[in-house]
Amino acid sequence: MNAIRKLTLSLWAIICALPIIWFASIALRPHNEIIAPQPIYFPTFTTETWAKIFAEWPIMNYFKNSLLAVSGSVFICLLLGIPAAYALARYKFKGREDIGFYILSTKMMAPAAVAIPMFVLFGHFHLLDTVWALMLAYAAMNMSIVVWIIRSYMMEIPHEIEDAARTDGASDLRILWSIIIPMCMPGIITAAVIAAIFAMNEYLFTLIIASQHAYPLSVALANFSGGSDGIIYNAIALVAFMAFFPVLLLVILIQNHLSRGLTMGAVKG
Amino acid sequence: MTTTARPIRRRSAFMRNAFPYFMLAPAVIFLLGITLYPGIYALYRSTMTGKFKLEFVGLQNYRELIVDSTFWESLYNTLLVGSLTLAIEFVIAMTMAALVYRDPWVKAWRIVFLLPMLLMPSAVSYIWKLLFNDGRIISDLLGKLGSTLGNIDFMSSTSLARMVLVITDVWQWTPFLFIIFVAGLQGMDKEVEEAARLDGATWPKIFFNISLPLLRPVIAIALVLRGVDILTMFTPVHVITQGSPAGHTETVSYFIYRTAFKSFEQGYASAASVLVLIATIILSQTLVRRFFRSGTEA
Repeated sequence: MNAIRKLTLSLWAIICALPIIWFASIALRPHNEIIAPQPIYFPTFTTETWAKIFAEWPIMNYFKNSLLAVSGSVFICLLLGIPAAYALARYKFKGREDIGFYILSTKMMAPAAVAIPMFVLFGHFHLLDTVWALMLAYAAMNMSIVVWIIRSYMMEIPHEIEDAARTDGASDLRILWSIIIPMCMPGIITAAVIAAIFAMNEYLFTLIIASQHAYPLSVALANFSGGSDGIIYNAIALVAFMAFFPVLLLVILIQNHLSRGLTMGAVKG
Repeated sequence: MTTTARPIRRRSAFMRNAFPYFMLAPAVIFLLGITLYPGIYALYRSTMTGKFKLEFVGLQNYRELIVDSTFWESLYNTLLVGSLTLAIEFVIAMTMAALVYRDPWVKAWRIVFLLPMLLMPSAVSYIWKLLFNDGRIISDLLGKLGSTLGNIDFMSSTSLARMVLVITDVWQWTPFLFIIFVAGLQGMDKEVEEAARLDGATWPKIFFNISLPLLRPVIAIALVLRGVDILTMFTPVHVITQGSPAGHTETVSYFIYRTAFKSFEQGYASAASVLVLIATIILSQTLVRRFFRSGTEA
């Protein structure tokens, strides 16, 4: 029984890991050993192609755009989301339920359905093909997640600590800044990491917004085609792993909070 | 109380009552900008036609849309590919979670099983495009296993192209469900299982009769979140099939994108957007309130 169990798990582990390892080998192959008449399973490894890829494509620019758009969007989410989460977690007021659920329901929005209005709106403000538009789109997309994750962590902080501070004369904002935020740091970090990953992955809005200058990594991949070389898979693999390793590090950092983050606080553990 | 003690600050009743609204306002206004505004704009734009000079046509876009077979086909394809994908992801994720959650090495397994989710979806789509299509690796491997089909063109057959989309999504997103299920199973009381075991219950009996029913709320939330994402599937369609063969593998998201940004029929695409938005509102209002805990317990 235990042997079958371990065998099944190992098989699934191979299915998960093997395509990634193989794709890493694509990044290390010369172009003519990727799409060949007969697939090549034991290629010659080289990093010489990298110099050519970096010379021909503004890869560091893609990376910089991703970094700016993602970190900017996370900053906006936290700036607007933390106060909102605090109000939802700690105050009783009319319409709290409805506002909370409205925020959550924006998660269910189909990106394609809002793509045209967003395109027109950004066009109107001359923001198309800028990192700012990406930042705003990613922030809008992740706001619901950030608010709900942080709200869930805030709800666990005992009221007594705040009550004591309040009797000492601390204002509500002061309590939020000096007590609540430090105490729910794990929640804030989890929310930030998950928002960052989703922003890094975003494809549809990015495809519509970026057309030359603002390409981040996710859509830059789609550029490596055309021309006589066809789709340049070694460049795609190289860029994919430039995004993969930072994400892997972030996820290891929050691995015990991951399920809670992905379910917006609904599943603990 | 001595005179040196600071007096408790009293604010007006209005300020006290308004405070939470002030805290919520920036986020809510920002979100209204991406939900209310697009809804209204899509509604307005859906009654117009033309690429540069707009012309009011009333409900004509809708009338054309409801008899447009490519639209219905994209809906059918979305639901077919989506339900298959969700079902397969659920079965694999639950099996792996059930097999691993009491394993002493669960953290190590979890990281390995998580890996596909950490690549960008566009990168994952290129991985499978290369494996199935451009690199012909899958055909070649099948040949080595004794298949006589030779070089299979996965994009020439509707069901094969759909299968590629399903495999791409399953490979990347099964980890999402897996992570949630493992956490749910780990969060359950060990003693209940132990008691059942002492009573002589076998492992499958414990799992199906005790653990699985207890896990129902977790399963519901996970499936809702994944289901919504699957219904809006776009990236693999854009990268791998582009709807081929003959538009049979278009999803609704891809249909809207193609109509608006490739054929530049934004009025027509807006009509489809409005229908999708209405469906989303109905779906989210029922699902969200049903499966997520409200704030009342705070």
